[in-house]
Amino acid sequence: MPIAKFAIQRLLQAVFVVFVVTIFVAFAIRLTGDPAIMLVQESSNVTEADLERIRAAMGLNKPFLVQYKDFILGFFNGDMGTSFFRGPVSNLVAVALPATLALAVASMVVSMLISIPLGIRAALHKGGLSDQIIRIGSLVGLSFPNFWLGLMLMMVFSIKIPIFNSSGYEGPASIVLPAVTIGIILTATNVRLVRTAMLETLGAQYIMVARSKGLRERIVVYKHALRNSAITIVTYMGLQFGNLVGGLVVVEMVFNWPGMGSLALDAIYQRDYPVLQASITLLALMIVAVNFTVDLVYGLLDPRIRVE
Amino acid sequence: MTFNGKCNFGKNYNSRSRKANLKRGVGVVTALSLMALSSVAQAGGKLTVAQVRDPGSWDPIDTFTLAWGSVASNLFDGLVYRGPDLKLVPGLATSWEFLDNESRIRFKLREGVQFHNGEPFNAEAVKFTFERLLGDEGAKGPQRSNYTSIEQIKIVDDYTVDFIMKRPDPVLITKLAGYGAMIVPPKYTAKMGEEFNLKPVGTGPFKFTSYTPSVKITFEKFEDHWRGAPKLDELVYRFIPEASTRMAELQSGGVDVIYKVPLGSLSVFDTHDNIELAPVASPTIDSLRLKTTEGALTSDIRVRKALNMAIDRNAIIESLLGGQGKPISSLQGAGSFGYDASLETYEYDPKKAKALLAEAGVKPGTKMTIDYRSADSDFREVALAITSYLRMVGLEVKINPVENSVMSKDVIPNGKTHEMYQFGWGGWTFDFDNTAYLLYHSGERYNPYIKSAKMDALLEKQRLTYDRELREEALQEVARMAHEQALDIPLYNLNTVYGISSRVKNFEPAPDDRLFFLNTSVE
Repeated sequence: MPIAKFAIQRLLQAVFVVFVVTIFVAFAIRLTGDPAIMLVQESSNVTEADLERIRAAMGLNKPFLVQYKDFILGFFNGDMGTSFFRGPVSNLVAVALPATLALAVASMVVSMLISIPLGIRAALHKGGLSDQIIRIGSLVGLSFPNFWLGLMLMMVFSIKIPIFNSSGYEGPASIVLPAVTIGIILTATNVRLVRTAMLETLGAQYIMVARSKGLRERIVVYKHALRNSAITIVTYMGLQFGNLVGGLVVVEMVFNWPGMGSLALDAIYQRDYPVLQASITLLALMIVAVNFTVDLVYGLLDPRIRVE
Repeated sequence: MTFNGKCNFGKNYNSRSRKANLKRGVGVVTALSLMALSSVAQAGGKLTVAQVRDPGSWDPIDTFTLAWGSVASNLFDGLVYRGPDLKLVPGLATSWEFLDNESRIRFKLREGVQFHNGEPFNAEAVKFTFERLLGDEGAKGPQRSNYTSIEQIKIVDDYTVDFIMKRPDPVLITKLAGYGAMIVPPKYTAKMGEEFNLKPVGTGPFKFTSYTPSVKITFEKFEDHWRGAPKLDELVYRFIPEASTRMAELQSGGVDVIYKVPLGSLSVFDTHDNIELAPVASPTIDSLRLKTTEGALTSDIRVRKALNMAIDRNAIIESLLGGQGKPISSLQGAGSFGYDASLETYEYDPKKAKALLAEAGVKPGTKMTIDYRSADSDFREVALAITSYLRMVGLEVKINPVENSVMSKDVIPNGKTHEMYQFGWGGWTFDFDNTAYLLYHSGERYNPYIKSAKMDALLEKQRLTYDRELREEALQEVARMAHEQALDIPLYNLNTVYGISSRVKNFEPAPDDRLFFLNTSVE
């Protein structure tokens, strides 16, 4: 019963968040520009009547709340609407969403492959030379602007040594460089996260017990310590994944990766309301869903959270 | 929905067993030998172009971008064709004549032309195309307004059509060479409805094969094209907004032709023997327009002239724009109809500028502002250079970024600009009419400040005649008036620079961005 109540409470919160995000986005974009003018920019013969006709075809002459209602009803009935300039939104999302998910997953994998072993090493040798090196390395990683790192990788591994595609969206060879770029940037934070989480668990009494039982160090570290730190690490990375889905736009631009971030950004430039609304709603839903799941899992694992 | 919306990861990722590798090895060998065979059979090969933007829709009546134009000449034909030399020549029409006091234009159509889907091209297709453009379908899009001088299309016989004109339209024949006037197949277009946007069919040398939004559009050669089959087998346009990425793709061999090499990075290619840079004068110009209404500092003609004289256009072009531009004296480049070579740019003369400012009572340290479009970082540098030139004549000028759409929708039309504001303009028609009417005729959207009965009369007069001499004179007169009154600060006409791999043969980039690959081949 209490867990059900907790779930319903969080679900209502999530619905509220999605509502606020979508109505705000729909409202704000309409304040800033007229897509009809964007459409006719290069023509000098356009009359006000032409513009009115175009606006009517775009459905912009209806009251705002009606436009919003039409969008929401359509969206949750599986119709994402039609872009002002680019055909059905579902076609655009059909390219952008898989692209974004593939890149987000690949970057997370790259980051985990690097940050987990390094983080553990740093924690085990706290204060030692390798810890120092890893910490400085992570600081350096944090200071890279991601577009610069992307361009450098492109220069080396695509132009000087032509192993990978420099940009585009064609097969595995084109995902490597963008995934490594984002992976390295993420690693900078994740290494510290793993280190801290491991230090915490390594200081716990059950680790001392495990060691005093005479267990081998490898088993202590990987079976006992890492597993217990995993909850923190996985939770944090889950949230990071949510951020990644919408926040890859700069790297997407550099590598010409056709993801959700670029889709939304283009839509803003062109005042393409349907595309912007649909993509932001989709992103909001995904982030809310990740958060909701994390909350729920927490609630299941730790009854104290439910009480709050 | 069959357009190519997926990419094939996954498939290649998980077959890592030895057997799979072995099988794949055999597959590769077979594929290689097949490729060797086919490369003998088809010498044409594949050419990839990096365009900046994805126009997003391929229907001629729905488009408004130069990016569309750069692709579409390969896919569609108009009644008239205009190539890189900007001369109008017969396209799908073999000839045309003006009848009934120029109220009727008769086109003789080319016989034996086929659309990619096998439909025949004839008078019916022309009538369908223009009725669609001028009817309800066209009313939703931006192209219709360019063709409203046409009253109706009458079929005379299968290969003759008459355009009945509502009013004279001297730019019509040019406009028939591109964009909204591209001829579409009646049956297919009617059947596809909105989906025509995603699966276009025309009569051009290349046939549409697939489109992935934001990624690429691909074509194959159309054997039955009326000019003869193209040399290439495949033509691909990729959409790459980021300039440095386009450059990297060209250097790594991922693409063969790139559009818009950034003018600050031309020297990158100095060391690449296998890449050529091809500059062409673009149809667009850059300028600062001025607030000429009562109360603004720039309402005084002496101030406006001083501003024009205080800026060293040549130095800006040389130092910031890679030398890839020409100073202009009116808001058009040398390729434009209405251009007057005898009209000279205000000479750079800071002393005289200072004197004029003093005469106008403008004290040293007077503040002014330039509005520029915030996303345009190249122009920002130019604007900064201008502020330092103006500082040298005693003006304290700051630059004010304005978001693109806000500038077009609100700031300019409603006359909310500061003393100087960025204006870049130009149309693919290369006819000054488009620019001049919009910027100088009173009451036009992008003309918040200028009201001149004489300019209005000249602009209206030249719109109502097909007489080229009379039109040219009127347009030149408008340009001269603007120059004498120093209504604007015309800056420069820039080149568009293409980067071209040396494996590409027989390709000539066009000044109007409309690329045409009929005779192009690759090594």
